[in-house]
Amino acid sequence: MGKAVREQSVRDRIKAQREEQRKKDRLRRIATVTTVVIVALGAIGAGWWYAANGSKPEEVTQALAPVTASADGSVVMSVAGVEKPVLDVYEDFQCPACRAMEETSGATIKNLAAEGKVKVVYHPITIFSQDVNNGVTRGNSLRAGAASRCIPGGTAWAKFHDRLFKEQPAETVEGFKLDDLVAWGKEAGVTAEGFATCVTSQQKAPEQADYSTKILQAAGLSGTPTLKLNGTEIGNDVAFNPADLRKAVLDAAK
Amino acid sequence: MLVTSEKQAPPRSRTASSTLPWVTTVSRLVLAGVLIVAGWGKIGTPVLSVQSVKAYKLLPDSLATVVGYGLPILEIVIGVLLVVGLLTRVAGGISALLMLVFVIGIASVWARGLRIDCGCFGGGGQLKPGVEPDYLIDILRDSGLFVLGVVVTWFAPGRFALDSALGLAPEREPYDDMEGDEEELHERENL
Repeated sequence: MGKAVREQSVRDRIKAQREEQRKKDRLRRIATVTTVVIVALGAIGAGWWYAANGSKPEEVTQALAPVTASADGSVVMSVAGVEKPVLDVYEDFQCPACRAMEETSGATIKNLAAEGKVKVVYHPITIFSQDVNNGVTRGNSLRAGAASRCIPGGTAWAKFHDRLFKEQPAETVEGFKLDDLVAWGKEAGVTAEGFATCVTSQQKAPEQADYSTKILQAAGLSGTPTLKLNGTEIGNDVAFNPADLRKAVLDAAK
Repeated sequence: MLVTSEKQAPPRSRTASSTLPWVTTVSRLVLAGVLIVAGWGKIGTPVLSVQSVKAYKLLPDSLATVVGYGLPILEIVIGVLLVVGLLTRVAGGISALLMLVFVIGIASVWARGLRIDCGCFGGGGQLKPGVEPDYLIDILRDSGLFVLGVVVTWFAPGRFALDSALGLAPEREPYDDMEGDEEELHERENL
């Protein structure tokens, strides 16, 4: 065999080998990429599930604990005789994050109170200042807060409280109209004499404003919603996770 | 020369080709760090992260919910891919795209005069009273991260990347070519 022919056959074999290798590499690359993509998508699915599961709300399963409005405007919800631990709930009826907190953990708070595990103290306050959205947001919050102050307590107060969050308007739109507030109160079961007048005259609005200023300073709030357990602020990661919130409260009750 | 990729590496000067992979690696790590921290801060409170998305008033509520739940975990997964250097080009591209979307979102909020916390690191949408938003800093930061994302995409995968170890790297380094020549020599000797 001539040298040239031998070299030619060597070249051909090398070429064939390379072709083979290239095909193998290609298949291997496809397999690796597919695996990585599947694992990544799986991780995204698992993370989603983890997030959704952690924020799954409880259901209100039993009658609420007795609800009583204090003179200063805070509202206590607890089984008679349960004095501690104390869970302070600072919220603004117009604050979207408060609405989110109520949707997520509101039922847990009610359940814990009904089980006699905690004394819940609601502080409906107005955190928005006049310069936000030309006062529209503050106006909404004040009307709603003042209206809730026209209810002396009872399940009607709790129902009205829930209804306000459910009907929460956008911050830039005027909502919580006086007529609506009166109607929602009636539907919540408010029977108090003079409720309608109290709401429409906004008799309690100055009280609501003063109380808010006082509480914002006294409690050192950086915003709403804020939950405090025995005076110590609970982080959002717990406040927005019903299972963790329940555990924190039960631990404090021990 | 043994070349298995379809695309030939563009000729570069020796110094550029030795420092550039490191630039990519550093960009990957910075970007990954920010993404993982941001995602981790939000994943425990998806409800708040949905609030943050809604505060931008750009997406309908149903889509805002999907983004609120999905974005944190997406950020973490992309961050992990960038750290280990897997599917580097895709991960870099997605992070650059994310940063671009964030910049557009914040700029749009700024232009509309909304007062929000960007929600970037787990803040909850509306700003607290008395706090002034600093949109410019958020935009500058995300623009910088966008550039890093582009660098990663362009010069993937850099040093210390699983892509290279698994043979997924689109470009061969110069020393690979030398190895290739050696292989060829061995093959010849065996004949």
